[in-house]
Amino acid sequence: MRELGAELARDYEGREPLLVGSLKACIPFICDLSRAIPMHHNLDFIELSDYGENNDGIRFLKDLNAEIDGRDVVLCDAVIDTGLTMHYLVRSLAIRNPASLHIAALFERPYRRLVDDLPVRYVGFTIPDEFFVGYGFELQERYRNLPDLRLVR
Amino acid sequence: MPETPDFQAYCGSEPPRFANPAELEYAKILDWYGIPWLYEPTTFVLERDEDGRVTEAFSPDFYLPDQDLYLEVTVMKQSLVTRKNRKLRKLRQQYPDVKIKLFYERDFERLAARFGLRKAS
Repeated sequence: MRELGAELARDYEGREPLLVGSLKACIPFICDLSRAIPMHHNLDFIELSDYGENNDGIRFLKDLNAEIDGRDVVLCDAVIDTGLTMHYLVRSLAIRNPASLHIAALFERPYRRLVDDLPVRYVGFTIPDEFFVGYGFELQERYRNLPDLRLVR
Repeated sequence: MPETPDFQAYCGSEPPRFANPAELEYAKILDWYGIPWLYEPTTFVLERDEDGRVTEAFSPDFYLPDQDLYLEVTVMKQSLVTRKNRKLRKLRQQYPDVKIKLFYERDFERLAARFGLRKAS
């Protein structure tokens, strides 16, 4: 986390980026990342509907509070898997004319990616094709509170 | 097979006719995320006999034009996937520029756990 924070601070030196967390799995990650960035930055959050909640396709349940026109935006999520959610977010936020738009993820599974044109710049770890809970990851909305990752078998 | 929904991101002209429920679920996921997709738009010839007749071919289930990516979905048991893997290897050898990903049963189970999907019977 310290390395990610230092990298962000270096890349955005002299600017004040906006970290945007995609609820809910991102919460522990974005909190720890924010604390590891030794410079001014802002936080905001979005939430998207889950698959199956409606028949109309993915949509925002909670939009940003901040305007991002001309801002440096860093989208933060716990994991990038197929990339479908992040692809939707990038498409949706890019049309609001941010000065820059990049992605920070604690984990990624690049071998499962279905969309490969994502602006992924910061990644903590590449993880194996296993199912985890804890540190924001849930199973039926439980276990997000576990302080570390647990493998589900 | 359940009734085919009215897809929004489907790029084909004819309504897709899925071979199994897992394909339908993948189509619904792609559609829900607004990812343009086609169903079995391309058949790749893998082998011909001496007379030039096609003896082996492979039609990946989905094509994502924006990603230039083919997807093949299988919910068969791992032991039965060997034949499909062999076809996939041949395709990669003969068409090295074609990007294709194979989704196994456990991938579907992973999606099912996340999205509450029903596994193909």
